[in-house]
Amino acid sequence: MNSDELISRLVQDFKPVPRHALGWRICAGLALGAAVSFAVVIALGFRPDLWIAMQSFSFWMKWIYTVSLGAAAIAATAKLARPDTPPMGWLWVLALPVLGLAAISVTELAHAPSEHWLEMWLGKSWKVCSSTVFLLALPIFGGLLWSFRRLAPTRLRAAGATAGLTAGAWGATLYCLHCPEVSAIFVLTWYSLGIGAASLVGALVGPKLLRW
Amino acid sequence: MQASEHQLRMWMVSGLGGDADAHTTLLRVLMPVLRQFFRRRMPGQGDAIEDLVQETLIAVHTRRATYDPARPFTGWMFAIARYKMIDQFRANGRFCTIEGMEDILVSEGFAEASDAGADVDRLLGSLSPKQEAMIRATRIEGLSVAEAAARANIGESDVKISVHRGLRLLAERVKDSLR
Repeated sequence: MNSDELISRLVQDFKPVPRHALGWRICAGLALGAAVSFAVVIALGFRPDLWIAMQSFSFWMKWIYTVSLGAAAIAATAKLARPDTPPMGWLWVLALPVLGLAAISVTELAHAPSEHWLEMWLGKSWKVCSSTVFLLALPIFGGLLWSFRRLAPTRLRAAGATAGLTAGAWGATLYCLHCPEVSAIFVLTWYSLGIGAASLVGALVGPKLLRW
Repeated sequence: MQASEHQLRMWMVSGLGGDADAHTTLLRVLMPVLRQFFRRRMPGQGDAIEDLVQETLIAVHTRRATYDPARPFTGWMFAIARYKMIDQFRANGRFCTIEGMEDILVSEGFAEASDAGADVDRLLGSLSPKQEAMIRATRIEGLSVAEAAARANIGESDVKISVHRGLRLLAERVKDSLR
């Protein structure tokens, strides 16, 4: 097929592109995946004291941590979805929620007797926390892969990593509805581990799955 | 015809707004631009170039939502072209052109090497023309004394003396400059 034929074939079903189409595409994939993860959280069961917990500091500490990571990760993913990726130096802001939570952890530990430290760190669910966050991230990552089918990343490993981070952070956000843990050091360790694992896997599979 | 960045961007933005004619024009105009882009980077691969031109046109069309009208059009379009080219190199297991070659040369000491070359030129320039020519011939080009003598149409002993005196002078100058 010569290039002129190709062009006429391409423009046959021509449609306008809405403004912010890229952002919508990413949000749609994210929402699709998150709907599946949300269904899984419903199956796991909300924490019984959810309404009471939502008035507590620890619940909002967890949500602010995961949501701020998730928001920064979406912004990074949207930038990496363009072929002419702008400089990504601002990514250091991802350190802010982590440092903030680390500061809260230190304060909490300082105010607790040291024989409670291990219990605060491990909680009751440290064995399942990271892996559940990771599992909840998978459908969201799948949704983002769907988003990327119309996008044009050129730094595939970085795009995979930020998509994984997005999925991990929003998976963790949903997991907060189930998880009854309250200590900052617990969240800092086990949530971050699950989110980090999702990001790492994203970086590993990015070059294969995001190729176009 | 080479359309300007401004003109290309106008077509692109109209196309995003739903103007099919502008979009068609854009794709047609891009064809020779892309052909030239790939030809310059992978000479002598006619078929591969035509494939890449088509692949890039398809990507420009199907992934046009990733263009941000606030940013340069050509930057976006060539980013796609470069990606497609590198992707093809990777698929074929070939070496590809390196982004930021200048930076690599700097870090590999290319600048220092060429500075050294300039220093040699400057020092040799301070000698008499015969001494300079004989040192270049025997010590830099690597000719034998007999070859250098034949080329300059002078005697072999003349060559030897010129080289010997020239090198002694150079050594003195270098010593002076280090003092």
